[in-house]
Amino acid sequence: MKHMSNESGRFSDKVIVTNILNGNIQDFAVVVTQTEKLVAQIVRKMTTNADDQKDLVQDIYLKVYQNLPSFQFKSKLSTWIANIAYNTTVRYLQKKKIPIIGMEETTESKFIATEDAEFDTIKTEAVDILTKEIDQLPPLYKTLITLYHLEELPNKEIAEITNLPEGTIKSYLYRARKMLKDNVNHHYKNR
Amino acid sequence: MTNNHLTDETLQAFLLKESQDDAVAAHLSACAECREKLENYQRLVAGMQKMAPESFAFDVTTVVMDKVVRYERQKKRMQELVFWGLLSILIIVIIAFSIPFLSQIRAVFTAIPVFTMLLIIGTGLVVLLFLIVDLNTQYKRKAEKIFQNKLQPIR
Ligand SMILES: [Zn+2]
Repeated sequence: MKHMSNESGRFSDKVIVTNILNGNIQDFAVVVTQTEKLVAQIVRKMTTNADDQKDLVQDIYLKVYQNLPSFQFKSKLSTWIANIAYNTTVRYLQKKKIPIIGMEETTESKFIATEDAEFDTIKTEAVDILTKEIDQLPPLYKTLITLYHLEELPNKEIAEITNLPEGTIKSYLYRARKMLKDNVNHHYKNR
Repeated sequence: MTNNHLTDETLQAFLLKESQDDAVAAHLSACAECREKLENYQRLVAGMQKMAPESFAFDVTTVVMDKVVRYERQKKRMQELVFWGLLSILIIVIIAFSIPFLSQIRAVFTAIPVFTMLLIIGTGLVVLLFLIVDLNTQYKRKAEKIFQNKLQPIR
């Protein structure tokens, strides 16, 4: 999907959506296969409960299915689905009263409180340290970091997914990277 | 210059090529402290790109298609329920309205000659037959559509 040029991507989006709307329900499975990785970067980064994740994924794709007739092709189908995934996950977090950004101070102090007990720095690989540090970030930062650095989506597309202004995304990403850099450094200094 | 170290934002923007500033490059070549900071960020970004992407512990396609097919079935059942509900209400209303006229209807049948009555009953039967045929073709068309849709969940 990532390497597909925009135009041919839009074209195949149109073909597949038309097929589904004409009643070929099994074509929806193709859409699911093509987008589940992106949806996972949002749902799995922002939530932790495995049972809830299953419900969330079902909710997300049912919404996609129900709203498919109103899809305008103004964005890529995958971006539109990711936006539904993001909104559904945020609503779930709100219902659970879990803050999506949280206070930076709290995240950092939480790190200091857990670092000695949880991490065996000598044995832990750099990637593992990083993965654990990313897990400590607030839900929104986690997703933004993943979408930008792992999925390599441009800011414009992340903005469409999260309904956030590009400037806000940029500054959240700066803050998240700084937190990560400081916390990872903290590990190596404590060796 | 050396007192005015580069901010984290500037370093990140420089690293991610979001901004191209010669002054930043000049400061970096002169300042080891900022260079080290930049290297930290470089390592961080490289590490993030190497991380394993998240995936679900369950088969997403199966779980989703189960839900979607169940939703489609429920929708169809609902539509049928509404159809039959409305039809029964209509029949009940017609019966309720015709009760006061029952004796008059019977009077019509006793008053007219046998031949006219047979004509009326015959016409009625033909109309009924047409209705049944039409209902049957509609049913067949719908069944065919469902067959084409392959409404079964994939296993
Ligand atoms: Zn400096």
